[in-house]
Amino acid sequence: MAGVAGVAGLSWSSNLSLLPLSKPSRSARRVPSVVVRNAISVETKSYTLQKSEEIFNAAKELMPGGVNSPVRAFKSVGGVPIVFDSVKGCRMWDVDGNEYIDYVGSWGPAIIGHADDKVNAALIETLKKGTSFGAPCVLENELANMVISAVPSIEMVRFVNSGTEACMGALRLARAFTGRQKIIKFEGCYHGHADSFLVKAGSGVATLGLPDSPGVPKGATYETLTSPYNDIETIKNLFNTHKGEIAAVILEPVVGNAGFIAPKLEFLNALREITKKEGALLIFDEVMTGFRLAYGGAQEYFGITPDLTTLGKIIGGGLPVGAYGGRRDIMEMVAPAGPMYQAGTLSGNPLAMTAGIHTLRRLMEPRCYEYLDKVTGDLVHGILDAGKRAGHEMSGGYIRGMFGFFFTARPVHNFEDAKKSDTAKFARFYRGMLEEGVYFAPSAFEAGFTSLAHSSKDIEQTVEAAEKVLQQI
Amino acid sequence: MTGVAGVGLSWSSNRCLLPPSKPSRSARRVFSVVVRNAVSVEGKSYTLQKSEEIFDAAKELMPGGVNSPVRAFKSVGGQPIVFDSVKGSHMWDVDGNEYIDYVGSWGPAIIGHADDKVNAALIETLNKGTSFGAPCVLENELAKMVISGVPSIEMVRFVNSGTEACMGALRLARAFTSREKIIKFEGCYHGHADPFLVKAGSGVATLGLPDSPGVPKGATCYTLTSPYNDIEAIEHLFSTHKGEIAAVFLEPVVGNAGFIAPKSEFLNALREITKEEGALLVFDEVMTGFRLAFGGAQEYFGVTPDLTTLGKIIGGGLPVGAYGGRRDIMEMVAPAGPMYQAGTLSGNPLAMTAGIHTLGRLMEPGCYEYLDKITGELVHGILDAGKRAGHEMSGGYIRGMFGFFFTEGPVHNFEDAKRSDTAKFARFHRGMLEEGVYLAPSQFEAGFTSLAHSSKDIEQTVEAAEKVLGRI
Repeated sequence: MAGVAGVAGLSWSSNLSLLPLSKPSRSARRVPSVVVRNAISVETKSYTLQKSEEIFNAAKELMPGGVNSPVRAFKSVGGVPIVFDSVKGCRMWDVDGNEYIDYVGSWGPAIIGHADDKVNAALIETLKKGTSFGAPCVLENELANMVISAVPSIEMVRFVNSGTEACMGALRLARAFTGRQKIIKFEGCYHGHADSFLVKAGSGVATLGLPDSPGVPKGATYETLTSPYNDIETIKNLFNTHKGEIAAVILEPVVGNAGFIAPKLEFLNALREITKKEGALLIFDEVMTGFRLAYGGAQEYFGITPDLTTLGKIIGGGLPVGAYGGRRDIMEMVAPAGPMYQAGTLSGNPLAMTAGIHTLRRLMEPRCYEYLDKVTGDLVHGILDAGKRAGHEMSGGYIRGMFGFFFTARPVHNFEDAKKSDTAKFARFYRGMLEEGVYFAPSAFEAGFTSLAHSSKDIEQTVEAAEKVLQQI
Repeated sequence: MTGVAGVGLSWSSNRCLLPPSKPSRSARRVFSVVVRNAVSVEGKSYTLQKSEEIFDAAKELMPGGVNSPVRAFKSVGGQPIVFDSVKGSHMWDVDGNEYIDYVGSWGPAIIGHADDKVNAALIETLNKGTSFGAPCVLENELAKMVISGVPSIEMVRFVNSGTEACMGALRLARAFTSREKIIKFEGCYHGHADPFLVKAGSGVATLGLPDSPGVPKGATCYTLTSPYNDIEAIEHLFSTHKGEIAAVFLEPVVGNAGFIAPKSEFLNALREITKEEGALLVFDEVMTGFRLAFGGAQEYFGVTPDLTTLGKIIGGGLPVGAYGGRRDIMEMVAPAGPMYQAGTLSGNPLAMTAGIHTLGRLMEPGCYEYLDKITGELVHGILDAGKRAGHEMSGGYIRGMFGFFFTEGPVHNFEDAKRSDTAKFARFHRGMLEEGVYLAPSQFEAGFTSLAHSSKDIEQTVEAAEKVLGRI
């Protein structure tokens, strides 16, 4: 998911087709150096995105920017956005027949691999009985039980249709439960697009929120306070300045939406302590990290229990599902148990529940997270070593199935550090890797994801490709 | 979708007609209901024991035992029913009871549940992957169908729910006009984004007070409300807040306060005044889209808004929403423009497939004529039976959408709707359940028919209604 972070960067595109042009391309605003590099890499294989370009050009007439979510338009990295035809395991095939090893995983859901046979078999069985009832079904209980037993903070859960809906629900609930209105979020963190979360990060010192997007009234955001990630001093200041007014602190316990940024050891603990002391709720947005860093998510991995948790992506197993859950006394405020309103026609539908149940079952099998730790470690070390040998300034990290790297020397602890990354170089790296058949997220400010379907061979191929490309750029 | 309107009863009774094997936690019985249950046992035994077990377990796991409030049956009382499967116009609960379904999953199931062709297409698609997080050609395909079907839509953005669609449309209207205030109508529901959760006033438009705790006044102070079908209140609002109103949002036919049709001049007047005042007219067709006509209410009434929201039917039973409209407005949406809105699963190939094949079926000739016919028979049948049994009732229908109220009527707005005898509706609802007919568990919800409802289904339903109306 591109957060508010994904908009800085390049916004030109080049025609990647290496065959003689049959007609002038509308997107051919070329930069000469890139053309030269394209010509050099043609010796090994031809790489065309002609069908992608045709379909995407048609799409631009039908949908804003040609896409249903902004990051898919490749504006940060340039080049023709790729249109896909199918996915399986850790691989993707685009409409021109190019094959890629996939490190986006549909932005997180595909942790057991795309189009898993067992999940698909279960989906087929379920859809014959109906994909949606608009009424209770026992599968909701089943997935709820799994989520509750897995995630330390969750004693009661509400399923919704997206991460955006989950965070909206959690926010309203936190405000209802505490009777307070202000919230703290961190610069570079993204929690879906409800108005209150679309707040421009300040210059490093926490500021009152100014909306990030037109159409968001100040009335919706002035109660959103922001702080740099990993900065406890600022948090303490905010709680002093706004004593008794802060309903909650919400964060990605490991940032993925500004690239991969891990919390410092004492950071999460300090947040837990201060929120407890000040009567504010601690909300972990585990839409990305849930079931990915550990079966119990970041809270299990770091041993810190928030009051509320939001989930998404993996729990839908490739279908649209979100969830928010936490302490029973808080969740009992949600309608119809309590007065806090939130509803959804397709929430808890049997098809989505089936996908989630079977995905989570796979993840309960032994050693999944050890495996992810291993392959992701091999991947990240391989890329960083290759970068170092080629003379690039790079840093990066990983935790189990989530990783990232930046083209910057210093360690990245917050969004400001991340923004020092050489995004132009990332764009060149990105497109070089595409031609080598490796698909990363088309933005420097997005984490990468591995899956149980990534083999050692996939990792080796990827590292080899990275070595090649890092020498060229 | 239940809106803020779900006031009503909130007691439950043990519906099991067999001797209880253990004391029921939900046995706060009302004496008269127990008598009626005993009376109706002569026809057939009707048990909801498994539903009760599963639902009791659910209450420990999820707030109120459900993932959406109306499912908990609080307006009508009785044991919420847990379902096992659906097909065509029928549903089967976990106790094996069969029902003719008039909820249709709250709208999506207009071609019938678990359609064979849709399912075959879904199976083909899921083998290629349910979600890419990247463009797929199926998005283009569904987009073209929506654009050619819906008069106002020149460009469309797919999202994952009606709530997301209305959120997007709201932000876009504010971005496009650079204004902040919006007008919505009492009893109308547009998903649960904060600005829409506004308490309807006492009849005169008021500044919005939030309906739900946890909604800050800063989010709702820009939401003005008006009674439905009241053009004078609208004219007054535009005078009082001249140049400040970004948009008027409405359900062009209300479904979320029960079924309330617009008066003939209402939609036209809204179109004129919004044009004159530089505000956008936004039709929330999440319910009415592809249901009143292939082009929705805007086609049916011949009034073209600036933006339209869609949901339910366009997902064919999977979670999909959409907002679309004039190209110049839609071009403001990121990444084409600066207005931010995103979604990981938006436009996923599986949901697109369901939508494409559902809309494909609806494009076949005769669909809306068929819906008009059977829904007419249904509504006339029920209203006649009600009259003969001496009840005050009113109701109506347009193609595949209908409703009735236990009040003299006519019902033109939410205040009128609230005069309905909700206690009687609750008795009617439960009586019909025992007769194998599943209506929405709230007086303030429209009913839905589908292409799968046969004349026989309608006859059975009307017979059941006659029986139940004769005794409540």
